Formats: sequence, structure tokens, C-alpha cells
Amino acid sequence: MSNMRGDLMRVMADASTIGITMAACIFIGVGVGYYLDNKVFHGSTSPWLLLIFTGYGIIAAFLSLFRLVKKKEMQNQPPKDD
Amino acid sequence: MEHPILFITVILEQLGWISHSMDGIGKADLLRLSQPHITYAWFVMAFLMIMPKLTMGKIEMIPGKGQNFWEALIGGMESFMAETMGKDGAKMMFPMLATFGLFILVSNLVGLMPLFMSPTSNINVTLACTIIVVTTTHILGLKFHGVGYIKHFLGPIPWLIPLMLPIEIISHAARLLSLSLRLFGNIMAKETLLGILFLLAGAYFAPLPILCLGILVSVVQALVFVLLSMLYFAGAMEHAH
Repeated sequence: MSNMRGDLMRVMADASTIGITMAACIFIGVGVGYYLDNKVFHGSTSPWLLLIFTGYGIIAAFLSLFRLVKKKEMQNQPPKDD
Repeated sequence: MEHPILFITVILEQLGWISHSMDGIGKADLLRLSQPHITYAWFVMAFLMIMPKLTMGKIEMIPGKGQNFWEALIGGMESFMAETMGKDGAKMMFPMLATFGLFILVSNLVGLMPLFMSPTSNINVTLACTIIVVTTTHILGLKFHGVGYIKHFLGPIPWLIPLMLPIEIISHAARLLSLSLRLFGNIMAKETLLGILFLLAGAYFAPLPILCLGILVSVVQALVFVLLSMLYFAGAMEHAH
């Protein structure tokens, strides 16, 4: 009983993270790209670094979603002995 | 919107610590140090240091009321951590995580009283907690894996490193943002909502349902902060996949 409640808590904590984490990933990507374009290189590379880092941010967001799903799948399957 | 009355700020004003004529040297620093979120963080720390001393008394073989309460609290937290991190990890990280849990819980709950505010309703306090957690995660990783900890950031395939390294760094930075923003957002929403409801219809008990919800939110957010920190620590300690 106690173990089941602990599992439920963990799943809830994980699932409640994923929304804000995905948003944060994309925003950090955009922020880093914008900073590099406008503050470090003074607009000479604009808009390419912004686009590249936005892409990185989006990939990071979906990667974290993918990892959450994979972790849950691994937990649901019975452990194989190998 | 009117400013809420905060009793520590009022006391400091009466003592003459906060005066808005900034003439002396260091006056601006003093003003900065006596902002409400800092003074209330100190208040919560003092509460957490003094209260166990007052209620527990001497530690005895057969616990009294106070000792029983603290033993149940600390024992419950320790078994909760042992479930996630294993016995050794829980033993190592327990002092830090229990401190965070109690500090965040008390600072969330203290804002429910009139004349008090939650220190965690300011982004600086939650960001400080989160930076400590994230830094500790990486120190733990370096301690457990040595230089090989960098493999956590490089992904499984060598020629994918230029793609994976920025992605991993971004996702670690996102942890920092999400952990601090969630705690800050929830607690600030609670504080603001309570303030507005008190202002509009405080005489008709309008804030009462939100006060009940506030207790729930405070406990859940403290729990979630500790739980996620534990998951991050456990992730840094386990082997790279």
C-alpha cells in the first residue's frame, strides 16, 4: 500500500514536470540563440543562430518527453533477467 | 493594489532600519537586506532552529509528545527518501533534502497567516534553492563517475556529439527553470489570490476556501520539490545508459 502510494506520487511528480519542462527547453533555446546573435556577434549572424538554437530547444523538449514515456514503459514491463 | 502590512517590515521601520533617506554609507545595502522576502526567510530559519529546541526537550528512550512528533516526521521523510534513492543515497543526501523540505514547507505555510508573507513567493528565493540543488547534482555526478560523468552529456553515438551536447545542456538548464518557476508560480498565485480576496470581501470569509486550498498547495509543492530533487540526484548517481 505504502509502496503503491509512493509510485503514484513519483508518477504524478514526473508528469507534472513535463509540461513546464518542454516550455522551458524551447524558451532557453530561443534565449540562447537570441543572445548569441544580438549581444555576442552584434547581429552579423542574425537570424541563423536563433534558428539553430530554437531547433536545439525543440529537440530537447521532445527528447525529455520521449525519455519520460520510455521510463514509464520500462517500469510497466516485468523485469527481464539477462 | 495596496501593499499588505508585514509585521517584520513595520518593526524594522519603527526601529529606524528602513528609512528612505539614504545618506549614510551602506544604507542602500541595508535597505536591500531588509526586503520582506529576505527578512521572512530569516524568520522561517529562526523558527526552524528554535522550535525543535523548545518542543523536543531532552531526548529520552521513551519519547514524549514533542519528541514523538519530530521522530515521526524525520523518520517518515527518511523512509520516503530510501524508497527512491536507496539506503546509502538517502543517508548521504538526507540532511540537505530534509532541510529543503522543511524550509520550503514552513515558508509556504507561513504566508497563509495575516501579517506574514511566503519567502518562496519571490523568484530569488526559489531560484537560490534550485541552483543549490542543480549544482549538487553535478557534484554528485562527478563524485560517483569521475571524469566519465561527461558521457552523460554526449549521448550514445560518437558522431552525434555536436547535436547531443547542446541538447543535454539545454535540458539541464530547463530543469533549473522548471523547478524554480513551478514553486514560485504556485506560491505567488496563492499569495496574490489571498491578498485580492481579502481586499475585496475579507469580511465575508471569501478567502476561506482559498486558504484550505493554500494548505494543500503548500504541502504538495514542498513534496514535489523534494521528490524532484531526489529524482535528479538518483539520476546523477546511476550509470550512463
